[in-house]
Amino acid sequence: MQRRSFTQGLLLGAIAAAAKPGFLRAEVLAPTGPERFAAGLAREPWLAGWKSFDAEAFGPTQATIEGSWPGGLTGTLYRNGPARFERGALRYQHWFDGDGLMQAWRFRGGEITHSGRMIATEKFVHEQKVGRFDVRAAGTTIPDALPIRNNDSMNTANTSVVRLGNRVFALWEGGSAYEIDPDSLAARGPTTWRNDLVAAPFSAHPLLERDGSAWNFGSLDFFGTTGLIIWRIGADGALVRTAMLEAQDPGYLHSFAMTDKYLVFTFMPYRMAEDKGSFFERLQFTQDRPCRIALVPKDALDAPRWFEAPFAAIYHFADAYEHRGEVVVRAARHADIEEARAPMAAAMLGERGSPSSNTELVSLRLDLARNRARWETHGVGGFEFPTFDARTPGNQPALLFAPASVHPANAPFFNAISSIDTRANRVSVHHYGADVLAEEHLFVPRPGASKPGDGWLVGTVLDFGRGRSGVTVLDAMRVKDGPLATAWVPYTMPLGFHGWFAAG
Amino acid sequence: MKTLLLTIPSVIAIGFFMSAAHAGDLTVTISDIREARGSLMVALVNSDAAWKNEAAPVAAKKIPAAQGEVKLEFKDLAPGSYAVQVMHDENENNQIDTNFLGIPTEGYGFSNNPNVMRKAHYDEARFEVGADAATITIRLR
Repeated sequence: MQRRSFTQGLLLGAIAAAAKPGFLRAEVLAPTGPERFAAGLAREPWLAGWKSFDAEAFGPTQATIEGSWPGGLTGTLYRNGPARFERGALRYQHWFDGDGLMQAWRFRGGEITHSGRMIATEKFVHEQKVGRFDVRAAGTTIPDALPIRNNDSMNTANTSVVRLGNRVFALWEGGSAYEIDPDSLAARGPTTWRNDLVAAPFSAHPLLERDGSAWNFGSLDFFGTTGLIIWRIGADGALVRTAMLEAQDPGYLHSFAMTDKYLVFTFMPYRMAEDKGSFFERLQFTQDRPCRIALVPKDALDAPRWFEAPFAAIYHFADAYEHRGEVVVRAARHADIEEARAPMAAAMLGERGSPSSNTELVSLRLDLARNRARWETHGVGGFEFPTFDARTPGNQPALLFAPASVHPANAPFFNAISSIDTRANRVSVHHYGADVLAEEHLFVPRPGASKPGDGWLVGTVLDFGRGRSGVTVLDAMRVKDGPLATAWVPYTMPLGFHGWFAAG
Repeated sequence: MKTLLLTIPSVIAIGFFMSAAHAGDLTVTISDIREARGSLMVALVNSDAAWKNEAAPVAAKKIPAAQGEVKLEFKDLAPGSYAVQVMHDENENNQIDTNFLGIPTEGYGFSNNPNVMRKAHYDEARFEVGADAATITIRLR
């Protein structure tokens, strides 16, 4: 599929979906109940992706495999995401608020099993005991919330998962990484990397070097100050060092990008409304002010170079590379900042609303000689959760893989998987179906292969038409051919955000 | 960089300052104590200056921690405004431990249990003691 048709299929399709009746602005402030969501779910079965998961654990369940699962693809796909959305009469209004559920799809010996366990954070354990939500949340005002000790008291560990060395961590963005037992999925507790770093924020998007060591950041904005802590974690999963990056102004960032030489942090300017409320209720992005971008040499963390570029609302940065005196970072830019502030807000209420797919692919180009930054668009949109093969050479753009929205669609969410090759100006799409929700797809290198892009995509789907969830595998070089195999379980699970594939 | 460091006074050094006339007794229940180890350091003050550790407290006590709940009394208080702050010195190093940002990593609490993510202001924690016995509950966070 060429770029023009892709754009029409994805971006325009997403806009068309948004224009349907029932569109609801994401500005409802009063808590709303599970009854309203249940009524919505009865009308709109795709809302199964936002249904509260109210048990503590499930599985393992044997999955039914359709197609031929590649023999070399063994290991565990961990998936994390918000899942406990309701207690008593209270239902969270913001997708980011749900307590984290760690799921594991295990591929071994020709069989696939599915299991999951709620992450036993301090918050979850307390609220299980008292039977109600009484800890403040990131995006919903909780009536009569208890005073809390610190940021980790409200840590839901609900955003992503990473394996560093042999350690598996459930990640949030405003507090500690929660270490998880790789087999039982039981939480081992918040990680203290060093005594003075108790409860220090460790973002949900660490990036790995080719040697298995990692970089990450934590935003200090949650603590009434500005800037970042930069984390360097060794290939053994132990802390190597930290550094502080000072920033003049408040700036939100959910993820970052890196090249062989640089870390790139893009700060979205915002101000906090004076009135009371949760973090995301008070957050107001200031589109009239530029993003500030810190280009931090990996070998000189105390020597950032700063750039400015027009405002952009971005959660997920993808690959970055250096070419002809420029550092280029690619990302999914959101057109609707209200949607960016509270993604799928209507779905959280039990309504059909604006889609998450009102995005476009942009490249942030940092001209090192002129110290100038600019955004470049590619005419490709309607996707999120981009991934890529990290083995791609550092002087060229990677092939990107991302869930996308195409017609026909019976839900305002992604229902396809796409690969985006900006060098060849080519996009390939596999449409899972009008009744399917598609989540992040991870790139898994084929054992023994070294060519970038030679491997599989492993991703999860929710088939609300048939009431089942599944994991699919595709040849990353032949996305439009569709899955080589899909493993299904006969129930649906709430959608997650991010996963990690641990081979073996 | 500004920090959120709590400044709970070192109660061991300060000791007791008892009042005499027109006395009332104050019972303080401290709840939600997570661990039995260490000590609870409780300071009773009657001024903003004392709240900020710039003047002596009316009284200060150090008692062993117990899981769940403990009670203690301040006797013969003069009628007036007071505030109480509590810290759980779990590792007995005579201070509330904090991380690199000054965020507390041990338990603490204030009278009135104000729902703030910083040290409460005196006005937020202030309550009245009359001629009769008074009772308050402080939830450790």
